[in-house]
Amino acid sequence: MTEPTAARVFQALADSTRRDMVERLTDHALSVSALAAPYEMSLTAVGQHLAILEAAGLVVTQKSGRVRTCALTRTGFDILEGWLKARRSPWEKHLDRLGDVLDDDHTI
Amino acid sequence: MTSPIVHHTFVIEKTYPHAVTKVYAAFADPTTKARWFAPGHPQPGATFESDFRVGGQERLTSIMGDNTPFPGAVLSSQALYLDIVADRRIVMGSNMMMNGTPFSGSLVSFEFEAAGDGTRLTCTHQGAFFENADGPQMREDGWRHLLDRLGETI
Repeated sequence: MTEPTAARVFQALADSTRRDMVERLTDHALSVSALAAPYEMSLTAVGQHLAILEAAGLVVTQKSGRVRTCALTRTGFDILEGWLKARRSPWEKHLDRLGDVLDDDHTI
Repeated sequence: MTSPIVHHTFVIEKTYPHAVTKVYAAFADPTTKARWFAPGHPQPGATFESDFRVGGQERLTSIMGDNTPFPGAVLSSQALYLDIVADRRIVMGSNMMMNGTPFSGSLVSFEFEAAGDGTRLTCTHQGAFFENADGPQMREDGWRHLLDRLGETI
């Protein structure tokens, strides 16, 4: 399987249907058919969207009996978070660390 | 070939839940400052020294790690304390160099003021960036390396 990358994560989230799927999966897992219900598209099309979300490391699907379940997974979100953190300027990073040092140190 | 200098100013405001004297001390005391400003220190080839007085210098040297765009490159800065008013402000002029060649010059002002039980710190950074500064290319490279590293850990 291909590795999730920032490009895949951004590409996956660039589509409003896929963002909606991610938002609807935030609180709990859903079966593929429950996930697909609100959309006017075939199950095949929903499956294609899910494949893109899976390749981006945002969603995992798991088959249990006759039901395939979709849930969010961390990998893609960690990539996003890493990307955002890397965009902080060196001084923002320094001053965040200053906060940590101040919190840790009771002698100064 | 030289390109025009790029000037850029930014302001960062932070509030820390600690008294002004404590936040100020984290700048004034070299040992404490090294902990947040030079976190890789001590490491081979890394140095940090600060002569905290008006006219005193601060010097920082570090070796860029394997996970950076330029592994093994020597990153250093020299700063001069231009003004110090205890618990009020610190103003520094500094440059950043890679392998001894300056790529930016900065005027950095830190202003401390009480905010409730805590301290509001205002950091104003006025920079002049020369050719080969930390521009889009370097950031892109940095990001690529970060992604590679992420890929290895997941």
